[in-house]
Amino acid sequence: MGTLIVIDQPPYGTWAGREALDMAFSLAAFDQPVALLFTGAGVNWLRKSQETTGIGQKSVEKNLSAALIFGVEALYADATACARYGLVPDNMVTGVAMAESSAEVMRQHSHTAFAG
Amino acid sequence: MTEIDTLHILNKAPEHPRSAECLRAIEPGDALLLIESAVLTLATCSELRAGITLYALAPDALARGIAQNAVKASLVDFPAMVELTAQAQKVISW
Amino acid sequence: MTKANTPERNNEGFLENSSDWSPEIAAIIAAEDQIGLSEKHWEIIGFLREFYKEHEMSPPSNRLFVRSVKEALGEDKGNSIYLMQLFPGTPAKTACRIAGLPRPTNCL
Repeated sequence: MGTLIVIDQPPYGTWAGREALDMAFSLAAFDQPVALLFTGAGVNWLRKSQETTGIGQKSVEKNLSAALIFGVEALYADATACARYGLVPDNMVTGVAMAESSAEVMRQHSHTAFAG
Repeated sequence: MTEIDTLHILNKAPEHPRSAECLRAIEPGDALLLIESAVLTLATCSELRAGITLYALAPDALARGIAQNAVKASLVDFPAMVELTAQAQKVISW
Repeated sequence: MTKANTPERNNEGFLENSSDWSPEIAAIIAAEDQIGLSEKHWEIIGFLREFYKEHEMSPPSNRLFVRSVKEALGEDKGNSIYLMQLFPGTPAKTACRIAGLPRPTNCL
């Protein structure tokens, strides 16, 4: 059970996703079970080799790589959205579980909240 | 350099309704410049009509890790973006 | 190096730019908190600098700082008593300040 935070917004466009990530880290800090689900344009958070020096922002790829260390239980990616954006395990960050059905992942959690 | 009739500047991800609206509005002889979240369009299979020149802002494509997907688009930096804007007779910022 | 020519810092003493950091600057910042840096301190400082390089963030809270140290260096060092003895006050804040990293975002 536990909380599922859904990120369906692309990275870098708004602060919504970063705030959601921060919330996930805070829940994990207090030992509350929490997982993240990336769907829609949000799956682009999971793409490898993001080079952000040109836009003056911290890399969400690198920030996200701390999630499992901080105790976030799982990172899920919606398989349909990944296919749409050409994301396959080879060009994605490690530690991501592919979800054939986002609805099913949501049903496995007692509370689901969308970012933004 | 050839003159651009209308330069369409799109900053919305493919999921955003304005993205589809923009792609429908483009005519041959126009150019499309993808910036911010719109560079993610390069990672999808969106089809563009013939006769449209495609550009993407390099720092935004690099940030999202999709610069290597930009085979159909020319990557431009900020000065080149300004140049494009100057070349176009009209500009639409979507 | 004297205090007068240390790099730019914010009102809480954190370096504005983490690349301005050097071990000498760490010693100066630590001395302000009456901390003399030992091997044990340097181990944690080195861990934090690496963490920042890899994740482009400081551990955002004290709890997550302790957890990150535990993941990397084990339970003997990844516990709040050990870290509190080395970096009094709020260990995450004190340690990040000495390591030249940004202030942990969720620390009061």
